[in-house]
Amino acid sequence: MRASLLTSTAAAMFALSFAAGGASAASKWDGADDLPTSPLACDASAAAAPAAAKPYDGGQPTNPPDKAGKEITLVDVPKLIGIGYFNATSKGMQDAAKELGNVKVTTDGPTEAKIDEQIKFIDNYITRGVDGVLFAANDPVAIAPVLKKALSKGIHVVGYDANSTPDAREWFVNQAEFNGIGKGMMDSMAKEIGEDGSFAIVTSTFTTPNQARWIAEMQAYAEKCHPKMKWLETVEAQEDNNLSFNQATTLINKYGDKLKGLFGMTSVATPASAEAVTKAGQCGKIAVVGLATPNAMKPYLKTDCVKSVVLWNPIDLGYAATYVMRAVVDGKLKPGATSVEAGKLGKLNVVNGSEILLGPPFIYTKANIDKFDF
Amino acid sequence: MSAAIAAEAWRAPRWLKRHETLLAIILVIALIALGAFNDRFLTVENLLDQGRFITETGLIALPMTFIIITGGIDLSVGAIVGLCAVMLGYSWKTFGFPLPLAIVFALFVGALAGFVNGFIITRVRVPPLIMTIATLALYRGLAEGVSQAHSVRGYPDWFYFLGQGSVFGVPAQLLLLVVLIVVAGVALDRTTFGRALYAIGANETAARFSALPVDRVKLIVYTLSGLASGLAAWVLVSRVTTTRMDMGTGYELDVIAAVVLGGTSIFGGSGTIWGTVIGLVMIQLLKNGLALTGVKGDATIVVIGVALILSVLIASSLQRRRD
Repeated sequence: MRASLLTSTAAAMFALSFAAGGASAASKWDGADDLPTSPLACDASAAAAPAAAKPYDGGQPTNPPDKAGKEITLVDVPKLIGIGYFNATSKGMQDAAKELGNVKVTTDGPTEAKIDEQIKFIDNYITRGVDGVLFAANDPVAIAPVLKKALSKGIHVVGYDANSTPDAREWFVNQAEFNGIGKGMMDSMAKEIGEDGSFAIVTSTFTTPNQARWIAEMQAYAEKCHPKMKWLETVEAQEDNNLSFNQATTLINKYGDKLKGLFGMTSVATPASAEAVTKAGQCGKIAVVGLATPNAMKPYLKTDCVKSVVLWNPIDLGYAATYVMRAVVDGKLKPGATSVEAGKLGKLNVVNGSEILLGPPFIYTKANIDKFDF
Repeated sequence: MSAAIAAEAWRAPRWLKRHETLLAIILVIALIALGAFNDRFLTVENLLDQGRFITETGLIALPMTFIIITGGIDLSVGAIVGLCAVMLGYSWKTFGFPLPLAIVFALFVGALAGFVNGFIITRVRVPPLIMTIATLALYRGLAEGVSQAHSVRGYPDWFYFLGQGSVFGVPAQLLLLVVLIVVAGVALDRTTFGRALYAIGANETAARFSALPVDRVKLIVYTLSGLASGLAAWVLVSRVTTTRMDMGTGYELDVIAAVVLGGTSIFGGSGTIWGTVIGLVMIQLLKNGLALTGVKGDATIVVIGVALILSVLIASSLQRRRD
């Protein structure tokens, strides 16, 4: 009697799981978002024609106190603290604060990339009373209510690295155009594994805004310019070192010879994937292309396991975000502006309505990696 | 008559020596101390705001108290939250249910998930710890599979009232929580159902031989736990305006910490809703108060851990004195 009950329950569970699996019908890559993509041209004429200027679409604070020229306190709440990438953006902010002289920035955030925790951090700082919030969102929609609350209390909000919905912040400092990253990554991979190679992707989570955008752009660009390359799978690694390593190793074991390349979409996933490839003895046979900080990738570039690393300079990103915030508070950057002065970075352009572009992505190779230390 | 009898030493009344009272006193002291350090902490606005953050954990903590009193445990609540959140969004977006029906469907899925837990625990006699660890993975996997990791957004405005709106200045979800706290407290204290929970926790075999419907009671509490997780999912989605399949990760630990901090014995047989409420409030306000005072990031977790250990020590020393 009990045995048949057990088997029927087990059967029901299996059926449920299969049903759930079968419920998927997505034909696009895992980890991509649903927003429209704009892939660049396939050849080197990568300078995409500047799109017609979009009107400003950011949010505005309600009755912010006038602190033009006065000292302001800012809080920086990145996706998580304790990883090299956000240590670098934080350093950039401290550099900018020192140069400006009238800005104080504290970096505080959760130790895991969880949106719920990030919301609570921002909420606490709103209660404490800060003049401005800098953020890198774990989820673009979920973070919007708390950012709007900050705006309603007269607190300035500027994002960097990972955007929120446009009306929840005043400006967003974008490190590189999404389609530029998509093109850079796919072209690097195609160069290493050939036009009909197959690859897999290790990302943070399927809903993290910037990774989702990059993957969507990569897919659009691949369909346009490298249609024969095969995408195998995307796995999540939550910005966790161990998990990234395990996931990459699982991919290597699962696909064996079929896997020719691994994409690392976060500064944690790429070195972990390179380590997995090294440990599996597949250096040279499996290409690793990704976004990462130079220090983490130095050992792999030296052993030629990884040929190139795509990134921008996160120190510059934090630096620019602080300058943008200062310009906003001083009233020098108003809705409708087309550029902003950012200290040693010079003039940065406004694109897409309320985004400020840092510049083109930077490719780190064995030749230039030693010049950087973050 | 000697003065000795007249001058009998004053004995502390029994209610003072209870775990919940000691906890309440510690809570008040902590609040006053934190309030002294930071003038934004003890404002009505801040405290009501924290009420929003308490609600999701609080809703689940109520049936969790019941479950732990019976000597069981439910580790799958976080995963059920994720599953219900996904079901809410998915049934609305993809199946095309009208939103109110999608909400009811999500609650139904939660109750069903809890029912499956309870059914297998009572009929097949799998220990609750093992069963709910298994369903933790199963339900999280279902959430991931069904949603294909896409989040659902763009809900109509009325939907956000529960998570972000206020009634006479009090956050809407806090009102919901308070009502359910009262219901749960009355059920535990004043009904035969509540009595049965204590009996099962104290000695399940004796309870069975006393003709108590042990299996039915257990089935009910696990189903309630799933239902409460569904309710928490609804509040959460309403608060953050989106569904994500990783919602609710780690909730089980927060919930159990609140329940145990409140004096419910993990071995079963004792515990009150009142204690759970104090435990909840204490954890959230400690975290908030410390953060406002400038304690950085996750150092607050260290304090919560210390508070939990102290609570267990107090509880066990009180227990020993009672024996």
